[in-house]
Amino acid sequence: MPTTRRTVLKAMAGVGLAAATRPLASYGASGGQTLKIGILAPRSGVAGTVGECGLRAALWAKDRANASGGILGRPVELVVEEETNPKDTIQRLNKLVLQDKVDCVQGIVSSGVSLAMGPAAEDMKALTLFWDGTTQDGTEESMPHARYVFKSTDNECEAVMASLLAIKYWRGKFATVAGVNPDYTYGRNNWAAFQALLKRFGVEHKVVAELWPKVGGLDLSSHVAALKAAKPDLVFSSMLFADLPIFMKQAHAAGLFETTKFAFPAAGWQHTALKNDFTPEGMIFGHNTLYFAYPNASPLQKEFVKHYWDAYKDYPNWEAERAFFAFAAYKSAVEKAGKAKGGAFPDKEAIIDTLEGIEVESLGGKARFRKDHVADQIFYQGFTVHDPRYDFAILGNVEVRSAEKLQKPSGVTFKDWIANGKIEI
Amino acid sequence: MTSFLDILLGGVFHAAVLFLVAAGLQLVFGVQKIINLACGSFYALGAYTGISAVTWALAHGLPRGLFLFALIGAGLGLAVIGPPVEALLRTVYRRDEAFQLLLTFALVLIIEDILRMIWGANPQELGNLYMDYGTVGKGALTVPTYNLLVIAAALLVAIGLGLFLKRTRFGRLLRATAEDRETSATLGIEVGRVYTVVFTLGTVLGTLGGALVVPTAAASLDMSVDLVVEAFAVVVIGGLGSIRGAVVGALTVGLMRAFAVSFVPEMEMLSIYLVVIAVLIFRPAGLFGKAAA
Amino acid sequence: MKLAAVVGLAALAALAAAPLVLEPYPLTLLLQFFAYGLALLGLNLLFGYTGLLSFGQALFVALGAYSAAVCTRKLGWHSFELVLGVAVVTAVVVAVPVGLLCVRYVSIFFGMLTLAFGMLFHSFLFKFYTVTGGDGGMLVERPSLLGMRFSEMDKTTFLTRPFYWYALGLLAVGTVVMWRLVHSPFGVHLSAIRENPRKAEYLGVEVRRLRLIAFVIAGVYAAVGGTLLGIRTGLADPELAYWTHSGNLIFMTVLGGFSSFAGPLVGAAVFIFLQDSLMSVTQYWRLVMGMVLVVIVVLFPRGLVGLAQALRARVIGWRRDARAD
Repeated sequence: MPTTRRTVLKAMAGVGLAAATRPLASYGASGGQTLKIGILAPRSGVAGTVGECGLRAALWAKDRANASGGILGRPVELVVEEETNPKDTIQRLNKLVLQDKVDCVQGIVSSGVSLAMGPAAEDMKALTLFWDGTTQDGTEESMPHARYVFKSTDNECEAVMASLLAIKYWRGKFATVAGVNPDYTYGRNNWAAFQALLKRFGVEHKVVAELWPKVGGLDLSSHVAALKAAKPDLVFSSMLFADLPIFMKQAHAAGLFETTKFAFPAAGWQHTALKNDFTPEGMIFGHNTLYFAYPNASPLQKEFVKHYWDAYKDYPNWEAERAFFAFAAYKSAVEKAGKAKGGAFPDKEAIIDTLEGIEVESLGGKARFRKDHVADQIFYQGFTVHDPRYDFAILGNVEVRSAEKLQKPSGVTFKDWIANGKIEI
Repeated sequence: MTSFLDILLGGVFHAAVLFLVAAGLQLVFGVQKIINLACGSFYALGAYTGISAVTWALAHGLPRGLFLFALIGAGLGLAVIGPPVEALLRTVYRRDEAFQLLLTFALVLIIEDILRMIWGANPQELGNLYMDYGTVGKGALTVPTYNLLVIAAALLVAIGLGLFLKRTRFGRLLRATAEDRETSATLGIEVGRVYTVVFTLGTVLGTLGGALVVPTAAASLDMSVDLVVEAFAVVVIGGLGSIRGAVVGALTVGLMRAFAVSFVPEMEMLSIYLVVIAVLIFRPAGLFGKAAA
Repeated sequence: MKLAAVVGLAALAALAAAPLVLEPYPLTLLLQFFAYGLALLGLNLLFGYTGLLSFGQALFVALGAYSAAVCTRKLGWHSFELVLGVAVVTAVVVAVPVGLLCVRYVSIFFGMLTLAFGMLFHSFLFKFYTVTGGDGGMLVERPSLLGMRFSEMDKTTFLTRPFYWYALGLLAVGTVVMWRLVHSPFGVHLSAIRENPRKAEYLGVEVRRLRLIAFVIAGVYAAVGGTLLGIRTGLADPELAYWTHSGNLIFMTVLGGFSSFAGPLVGAAVFIFLQDSLMSVTQYWRLVMGMVLVVIVVLFPRGLVGLAQALRARVIGWRRDARAD
């Protein structure tokens, strides 16, 4: 059947439409000299609440910056796109960089996506600050010398800290362990870290179950049943998506908590959903870089937590801190580099040079970027308690560790560092 | 032994919920020869509506222990969407099956965004409410009573459907229309009305499934597309158009998954697809199906 | 026939000139169009001409992308011609056994079987992460085109100039080959099979063999499209094989019009640009796309091309009536 002129014209119209399209999902001041920051965050699905939290913090940071004159006098605008799977997210990245021409890209929560996006961002020479994700072994292979991409702390930090706490407080009190970890890069890395540390410190143990629930799978009854059957003394789980509260609920219903110890390095993402009814006390519980109720929190954190409650009637999880840090680090680097140039807006290379080694006051305390583009931040974990002020579990005593003690230094592989590096319990 | 029972019960619970959705699929296919890709979307709709219904009812004085009725009410109440959706599908009955499939695929997209619009993008859940019903058994073998209730409900539905189709007049009308649409029409059966009722019934089974499962889990937007694959596996294994097949298929899938998770985790979903492919190749009619290739 | 050639050449010229006129981002969208256009030409051979609705075509798209990843990343083979060869061979090797199993059935069973195979592959890609990279997928490195590496160019320039023209060339060649195919006795037999398989068999047409050939050709086209996608994104990931991706392929085909040759190409172009524009404008783009699909399926089953042809016929009718007065 022959085509008609009309069909070709339609195709051309489509092209024209695309060229003329402008993004509507942007927040903030408009105007000629606006500084545009592209944000890639999940907006729905099992990481939806996490992305939302980070976005809220980014908005707060942006509003604060604009209230005091913007960055180097330029008002800041956020252009938000959705993080979904690696392939589609890279396309959104393309759009942010090529079409919206953002000055900086921030965001990303999933390790799988960051692994794929890193090289893409490097290829496009797009200055990118990852909020989260980034497993160090993968990026070593794909981005040995990142220039444009700045990564968050290694995935394994929280696992290392939780493992060290488990060894410190529970050594000799458990013989069998079970792992319940989300079936993807992050889950695998965390479980590997836990096992490697047990081995390193000579903690005798037997692995009685290794479960890998599908990310976002809402039916965990089989896993709970398998776990019960294995009767572990200690359960290590890096579950962190919306399936975590479901797991807790079902585990509690199955009577799993009575005699078992739990180490959950990343539970803080879902902390408000882990209600007192089904979350036991005495769990090792990780809040990564932001524990909202930390008694010795900085005035900045207290101000943010109060703002978050006033605006959203909720308490933030650590993604807020990651988002804030990315924004604050970028802002600080631009201002420092600009000052060095007598006030003119610095170019990308200058900003990058300044970002390396920069230290800023973030929500969770002082935070830095190492010269190798990996972040160094402060981690908060502790043992859960039920507090009448909240209907979800919070921390009793809080342990604080710097990432310097939890992640490998540059130039060393994770395996070597775990086996031979200087690690103190 | 108790661990075996634990796994078994977990598998049966999952099978119960799958059965409800698959039974809906089977009914609709059996009578109207439509495969509804949006069955997962109805399931999700039931889950979200269930949460809202329970939250609303509890806030308006419903005693906590009666939340199950709010859920059932939500599931049944969603019957109202049956007729309009069926009317939409009716426009493509006479056409190639591809169009029917595509129309239901369009529904998947549309319903997902409607869910997003009304309930937002984040998963919703009901806290620990279902534990109000306590647990059965003690020590190593404890099962939430609620789970047993759901299994019982699914069983009731299965028996009820069977009786309905075999013993009641309308059931016979249904089976006649399924066998031969034209002849039934000439015999005076209002085929259009039958279709509307059947589709609505199929929809309600799906929404009820979603509403019943939500207290033990959560409602999320991904539910819809994930469930479709499992529901299809059930229908293929059991045989298209057969309710008995839905029971057997659901049990097969539910138990296979439960045991795979405990013993061979890598094979969890793979095993199901392999069984589906094997059935389609060696016995395409499924275990109880009528339609041949 | 001549009109088709003229229009085709005009479109080719316009697309070839695009990099000189358009911004990089729309050009990357056009690259996607080239990739999907190829995949859809294949799908339409299977669906429009042979009447088999495959819900697992995404399997082959994923296969193509992963072939590109394995070649460039794991084996260090950067010649794009070699990558294409590997993708084609892999597609054939997979399509033949899968096809042999699937073409024994029609309509719903064919659809379900292909869906099951597609999801099986998706599961495999996800679970066997030591081999496939799991959820993170596998990186695809920049290939050399006809021996030239273009290493001085950054990725974006590479994609929007040399690779763009190469991909356009592939699409053009693929289109011409497909055109010849559907207008050959082979193509005619396929249509006969779609209309009335029993009659076709009676007339001596080997139904199953021809269906298998159509299936394999569709798989090859999809795999080539997949390599283009993999190189454009720099990544092969398991979601490429998920059943909703297959659903989108069918959506595009029907949107353009599956009963015409150029329908799928039009459908791919409109779908890609429509979805991209919608994503920037609203969070609820799925709703809009779903409604578009409903409108097409219910009101314009012959797709945009069918709509255009109907309008053209009507305009001719008006003109004829006007002249008659």
